[in-house]
Amino acid sequence: MPDTLLLFREAFAGTLLIAAACAVLGVYVVYRRMVFVAAALAQLSSAGIALAGFLAGLGLGGIVTSELGVSSAVTLGGVVFFAHESVERRVPTDSRLGLAYVLAGAIAVLLAARTAGMDVHEFMLRGNILGITGGDLWLILAVVVVVLAVHVAFFKEFLFVSFDREMAATLGYAVGRWNLLLHLTMGAVIAVSMAAAGVLLVFAFLVVPAVTGVLLGRSVRAVFTWAMGSSLASSVIGFLISIALDLPTGPTIVAVAGSLAALAGIIAKLRD
Amino acid sequence: MTRSGVEAEPLVTVEDVTLGYGQSTVLSSLSFVIQRSDFIALVGPNGCGKTTVLRALLGLIRPRTGRIIWHVPAVRIGYVPQQRSLEGGWPLRAIDVVAMGLYDRIGLLRRPDERHREAAMEALSYVDMQTMAERPFAALSGGQKQRILLARALAGDPSLLLLDEPTAGMDLVATSGVLDLLARLHSESGLTILLVSHQLNEVTGYVPRLGLFTEQGFRVGAAGELLTDARLSAMYGAPIHVVEADGRRLVFPEAGTQADPLRRARDRAHDA
Repeated sequence: MPDTLLLFREAFAGTLLIAAACAVLGVYVVYRRMVFVAAALAQLSSAGIALAGFLAGLGLGGIVTSELGVSSAVTLGGVVFFAHESVERRVPTDSRLGLAYVLAGAIAVLLAARTAGMDVHEFMLRGNILGITGGDLWLILAVVVVVLAVHVAFFKEFLFVSFDREMAATLGYAVGRWNLLLHLTMGAVIAVSMAAAGVLLVFAFLVVPAVTGVLLGRSVRAVFTWAMGSSLASSVIGFLISIALDLPTGPTIVAVAGSLAALAGIIAKLRD
Repeated sequence: MTRSGVEAEPLVTVEDVTLGYGQSTVLSSLSFVIQRSDFIALVGPNGCGKTTVLRALLGLIRPRTGRIIWHVPAVRIGYVPQQRSLEGGWPLRAIDVVAMGLYDRIGLLRRPDERHREAAMEALSYVDMQTMAERPFAALSGGQKQRILLARALAGDPSLLLLDEPTAGMDLVATSGVLDLLARLHSESGLTILLVSHQLNEVTGYVPRLGLFTEQGFRVGAAGELLTDARLSAMYGAPIHVVEADGRRLVFPEAGTQADPLRRARDRAHDA
């Protein structure tokens, strides 16, 4: 087992980094009821990857065929769109998010279908976390460190605009800009994680550990701690199980995270 | 003259203001003055634009026409929003919520320290909630939550307190508890208070001045002048009676008139 872990050390480290960043973001996702936003951004990122593959299939080169570049651009476009709030919109927010989710999914499938060498089913199930390379790892590390630093530095502001945006605005906080920054951190983590981890694992990391944290934590600090702990524990346990039983790593981690959330639900029920 | 016998000084003048969102106009030709040490309630049915007036005073929306003139520079406003505008799931303690009223003074990249905790405790003492400081905010009753939000607004040492439906969803005892508290704050410290409510009878015994939104327009004046059968009947376009009980005026429409549109129409024609 240690030899196998050594073999996949980049993948293991990358998984832990993605898990840590998503656990922090996930607490905001759950409390701010942004689950649809996370799902739509993940799907947009996936569509960006398909677009990059499609453009490469057309014989183009450079940044327009970089999975990370196109995926980041599409995701950040979604961030700006979803973070901007307006009272004039006739279509409710959740409907806009649903629209973005299904359209991005459909476009990704259509682009994959028209890209030489890309299998649609394979593309939809993509996200081989074991395929993380040294280069991927450094990029993930850089983004995760910046995102976590931003969240530590501006925890007070993110909490305030998340709990009571009206009051924050009356005290002079530029609520729209703080929300944009929060969405940007989410978009950045999603964009760098998606190519390696895939929609399923990234979306699961953004929701499931935070649910565990919400169920077990009795203070804000405790919620973040439980979310982080369960996210890292799911990654380690899921990784080891997948290697030992020769199972796909991402879904195994998700299954472990889900089991921990179910256990947390039982504990919370018994405790209350 | 004010309560203290000092000549009334205007704090803010709302001058012929039109307010709205997007393409829709919510209020037009609105004019009134808030004096220093005023205690005034804006009363009207749901959707008449009361909260919009607060948002304009808070600087969250700009008047389309007209002006809001502040006669004192840099007025510090304490705001108590409607509880439903909060993302109430966060497991914050009561004292954490109160400390948010000081966040703008704490500044970026800094966390609340012992001084801020002491200031928050002092604000809790104004509303007799020191013993609840460590309790989870989400677990408090509606009336207790309102006191905590009031303490948060007071923590910043405001010169004007704005409250949006401070008794919404509360039972009789909790309602009178909150209004008694506001009356005490006003009489003891001379704090200028403006609240909005859709329940005229709730506020009549407490506020010396009223602003009434009716189908016939907006009227502001001393409660004693406005709360008469003739004035209210003219303003609401229906027979209204005012009775005095236990030193308070109670307002109620004549029985049966609301269910008889023909009679209402006849009365209006007769008045005309």
